This record gives sequence, C-alpha cells and structure tokens, in this order.
Amino acid sequence: MSHETTTAGGLQRPALQTETPNYDDAFDAVVVGAGLAGTAAALTMARDGLDVLMLERGPAPGTKNVFGGVLYTPTIRELVDIDGAPLERYIAEKRFSILSSDGDETAMSMRPGAWRDDPHNDSYTVLRRRFDEWFAKQAVEAGVTLVTETTVTGLLRDGGAIVGVTTDRPDGEIHAPVVVLAEGANSLVTEGADLKERPEREEVAVSVKEVFKLDRDTIDDRFRLDGDAGAAYQYFGEGAVGEAVGGGFVYTNKRSVSVGVVYRVEDAAAGQTPEATLDAFESHPAVAPLIRGGRRIEYSAHVVPEGGARAMPDLVHDGAVVVGDAAGLVLNSGVHLEGTNMAVESGYHAGKAIAAALADGRSDAEALAAYARDLDQSFVVENLRHYDWFQRTIAADRQFLFEDLPRALASAETEYFKMDRTSKDEHTGAARDHLVAAAGGWFGAAKRAWRFRRMLS
Amino acid sequence: MNDGWNIVVCVKQVPDADDVTIDPDTGTLNRSDAPAVLNKPDHNAVESALALRDAVGGTVTAITMGPPPASAVLQAAVAAGADGGVLLTDRAFGGSDTWPTSLALARAAEELDADVVICGEESTDSSTGQVPPGIAAHNGWAQLTYTESLDPRPDEGVLVGTRDVEGGYERVAAALPVVVAMVFGANDPRPAGLHRKIFAETEFEPVQWTAADLDIEDRVGLANSPTKVGGMDTASPVERERTRVDSVEALYDHLAEVL
Repeated sequence: MSHETTTAGGLQRPALQTETPNYDDAFDAVVVGAGLAGTAAALTMARDGLDVLMLERGPAPGTKNVFGGVLYTPTIRELVDIDGAPLERYIAEKRFSILSSDGDETAMSMRPGAWRDDPHNDSYTVLRRRFDEWFAKQAVEAGVTLVTETTVTGLLRDGGAIVGVTTDRPDGEIHAPVVVLAEGANSLVTEGADLKERPEREEVAVSVKEVFKLDRDTIDDRFRLDGDAGAAYQYFGEGAVGEAVGGGFVYTNKRSVSVGVVYRVEDAAAGQTPEATLDAFESHPAVAPLIRGGRRIEYSAHVVPEGGARAMPDLVHDGAVVVGDAAGLVLNSGVHLEGTNMAVESGYHAGKAIAAALADGRSDAEALAAYARDLDQSFVVENLRHYDWFQRTIAADRQFLFEDLPRALASAETEYFKMDRTSKDEHTGAARDHLVAAAGGWFGAAKRAWRFRRMLS
Repeated sequence: MNDGWNIVVCVKQVPDADDVTIDPDTGTLNRSDAPAVLNKPDHNAVESALALRDAVGGTVTAITMGPPPASAVLQAAVAAGADGGVLLTDRAFGGSDTWPTSLALARAAEELDADVVICGEESTDSSTGQVPPGIAAHNGWAQLTYTESLDPRPDEGVLVGTRDVEGGYERVAAALPVVVAMVFGANDPRPAGLHRKIFAETEFEPVQWTAADLDIEDRVGLANSPTKVGGMDTASPVERERTRVDSVEALYDHLAEVL
C-alpha cells in the first residue's frame, strides 16, 4: 500500500506535511497574555509592520479576565473603531455611597448631562469575555498570530537577556527578540524570572464578583435608566466590606448587573473570607433590592495590584517589557477605580518602543527604555504617583472611615431631619455633635480634613 | 506494507456542548450561542489515528464535511499531529443526514486509498453513532464499532480492536480496509506541540473537494436524506414526591413502610 500525495484522478491531493516547521525567531515579538494590555501592544506592533505571536492560556481571550465592570476607552478609541465593539452601557450616573453595618446608607449621586452625549466620557460597562475576544480579533485582523490554550511557564535567557518563552505544550519553547509580559495581576512568569518582587500582602487586593441576570426593563426601572445609559455605584464603609479596607460596587450591564467587593488580601488572610464579605454586601438593605430576583449567572474572583507607583517593577529589561496589571498599573484613589485605560496605554507605548528598537536592530533594555519614559510622562504614572498616599492613609484611618464615620453620618442625618417638637437649631447642633465626636473633636476633624485634602485635588 | 498505512480520521465541528442551550419553544439547539469546536469524541479518534501511525508508520489525513469555517477542526487535528487535511465543502451537501454524510466520507476515504478510517463514536450535537457504520456499509469495508483500543498487525494486514460489549469486552480482528469508531474517553489525547499548533493555525491549508469531485452530487443533500424530523419536544422533569423526616428512626420507619 502506498500513500502518494500528489497523483492522479484530476482531484487535488492533500499536501501532507509530517515535518513541523520551526518558528524560533520567526516572530519579532511574543506577547504573553491576550488581555487589554497584551492586545494593545500586539495591535500596535502589527500596525508598525512587526510579526507578533500572542499567547493566551484561556480557550479565548477574555475567558480568564476579571474586572469590576467599567472600561475606559480614550486610548482604545485611538487604536480601533469601537463602534463595532460589544459595549454594554455607557456610564450615565456615578454614585458614591457609604454603608454602615447597621443598614445605614449615605450617598451622593451625579448625572452630568454631558455624559449622555457621545462619546459618553469614554466610560462603558463591558463583559470581558465578549470585549476582549473582540479586541483580540482586531489585532488578528491587523496580522497578529493568536494562539490560545497555551500557558507561558517561563522565560528563555541567553546570558542575561530574555530571548523567548517556555510554554506548557510539548515542543513548547519559542525564541523571539522581544517578550511582552502582559500576564495580568497574578504575574507568575514575571516574578519567577526575578523581573518583579513578590508583592507585599497589603499591596494586593482580592476581588470577588457575581453577575445577576435581570430583564432590561427591570434594570432600567431600578436604576432610573433609559436607552444605553448605565450606572456605576461605588460603596465604602463597614457595610460594604466588613472589617476590611476596601469597597463594593454595583455596575449595570445591558441585561445583567455586576456586584462585587474589593479588599486587601491581608484582611482575607486575617480571616474575612471573600464569599462571606460578598454575601454580606449583597444582603445590605441598600444593595439587596438592586439585585432582587436576579439569577446568578457568573461568579469570579481575581487579585488586584494596589501598590501604586512605589510598587511598580522595572518596566524594561534586555529583551522584555512588562505592561498592564503585571506592571501594577491599577489606580484606586477611592473616587477613581481605573486599570483598563492604563493597561491599554502601557501596551500602546510598549508596542511603539519595541517597533522603534527593532527598526534599529536592537532589543536591549536601553533601546526599549522609551517605553518606560513615555509611560512615565503619561497620565498613567502621573496618576499613580499623585494618589500614592491614598491606600496607606485609608488603611491607617480604617476605624474612622469605615466604622465611625458611616454611623455618625447616619446619626447626624437622623438628628438633622428629625420630626419632633424641638427646634431645627437644636437638631443641627446635635447632628454636628455626632460628626465632630466621630472625627475626634474639632481638632481631630481638622487634622483629618488636612490628611484627605488631596482626595479631590 | 512496509511503508505504513493510510490512516484517515473523520472529524466534525459541533457547538461546544458546555455552552449549548435548547430553545424551549422550538426544542431545537441554539447552535449560534455556543462556539464551534472539535466534537469531543473525535479527540479520541485523532489520538487513536496518531498512535496507530506511531505503531505502523504511514500518514494520518483528517477529513471533515461542512462550510469553510469547519476547516478549524482540521487545524486542530493537524495541530495534534495529523499530516494533512481534506475539507468536503459544497452547497450540495447542505441538509445531509447520516446517509449522504457517510456516503461523502466513504467516497473521500476511498479516494484517499484509506487502509483505516477512524471516527469518534458519535457527535455531541446529534448523537446518532450512524456515520462510522455508514462509511463501512457504503464501501463494503469491515467495521469495528465502540472500540476501546487498537492492536495493529501490519504483517497480517489486520487490525485487532477491543470492543466494549455487555458484560465485558471482545477482541475482533478485521481485514483492511476497516472503519473504526472509538469509544469516547478511550484514550488520553496528546496535547498539540507549540510549533505544530502555530503551523496548523497559520500555514496549513486543507484541500477542498466538492460533491462533484467525488461524483456524488446527485446523491447528497436534503433531498437525498431519508430522515424526516416529525417534531421536537422537550421533556420536563417530573416533580418527585418529597417527605421530610426529623430523625434517623423516622426515616427508617418511613422506608420500611414504603418498601
């Protein structure tokens, strides 16, 4: 019996290729992880004419990715036409709420009319599984080779320089001039290669999130929305995260609502479990009615780097750059919770710097340093530096901010609006006393006001 | 027979069974909801084909029938190690049930001068298990269905299959050419090598054959499919009778009474 491959019959025979080609140095760059930072880097490099291999451990981009729910799109908009993107709702309302563990809520809501107008302040809820897959598809259409279900396990070195990656697949090593480490918050490869120190407990947060399916009309009615308008609610205080330092959130998607909590891993290690924290938050009288009757369709958890500018690793190495969450690029200032925009910005600058370095035939740290410089001068590092004080300050003031203040506010409100036969003047005085006492007297209140003055600066 | 066997492996693209839902109104599968993937039992078929090639030499050619996107499952087979692939694609194939489908695959296997054709035991989207025997019947070849393992004897031109039968197993020796249906989970499919996977997904191109190429354009498609679906229905779960008891003794008494 023979197995001729190209003969006869007029019918084209299948080309049989038993030998596997070797792709070492066939690509200019290998990107580790097809999240927002990795895809932005890959897309930028492909647009500059580079051959890029992007490796993703999930069955599709986005399947392993978790975030609260709001994507900030100013940089993405520059890279791709987001009109076709699977966006859920634009953020029409931001609401900041303080919850006590006694069921009190004090909230402030804002709905600037300008947010209703395109491009809606570049803030949209998205479902990562759908959005990341779409974004990666834009990169593939620009020429990027995406290989999924492949986990990068380590880096290849020649001398000190990084020259490729190892994966969990057989025949799994591949060489390339530059490696982009976009592996996310749990950056095992970057840490394993000593490009980054293992983060301290207090610099890492844990987030757990559930998605509840609800009718579109129900969501519109409950959150007072219409059309594609959506809401982003942020929660603070003991009613949101119990004994921990952190916060809760509720975001509206088209036909589902995302609910979650984020707090320090240190608090989880001290015994406050994520599931109990989320359960308590979802049971709070201010939150439970928002998700009542919803069917739980997703449960996810992730770690969040919150070390700020001081915890950022070296971004550039001989043959490698670090981007996105792997580089600790997440901003939590209490008021601002951002990461996706910083991930995309870092991927973009990294991609540009790599293309320029390779055009000069170089891939050493000095040649790639433009990435670190550009990022340093961008809003990303500037914001991280500006709010670097925040995490430490709130941790030091936890008792006041999370327990005493929410209760004092509720007591003051109760007092101020009290309906009885006492004068308004007396109510106002009593309300003031609650707040001043919680703040540690007039002197304490002044000190705290000074400490937190930068929150809005 | 020193230059090995021509091994053909049949693969099918199906909606991912983990994601598929059933429309409660029509009783049909919501195929568009789920991503299209390689039929799970076919992973075992591909592994058997590669292991057989390791044992006796030769080549593995993957074939599938479907629209052009179906070539993704040929990529998966080539990534795992298959040498090449053939996509049977033609509007004329549209609406084919298991009879014309097995005819097309049988003709293609004949065209490829197959010694062994290996299939998964059934597809997860229709679960008939009729295609492998159908291929054997159309070509008048031997068949080994519900096969758990293969023991090739190239010197005798025989393939011995261990078949799962009620109460145990049986070993059946089949003369070539033979069609094999592998039991789901029969083996542990090898992961694709990184470079092979890159090759399969970037450079590999299957050849495309039409119904006319196989000379069966008048024997395939909906018109040549004897299966007629009379209707679809979903079965609702039956509400079980429930009784609550407060102690082990009460449970025992209750069981004794019921039994």
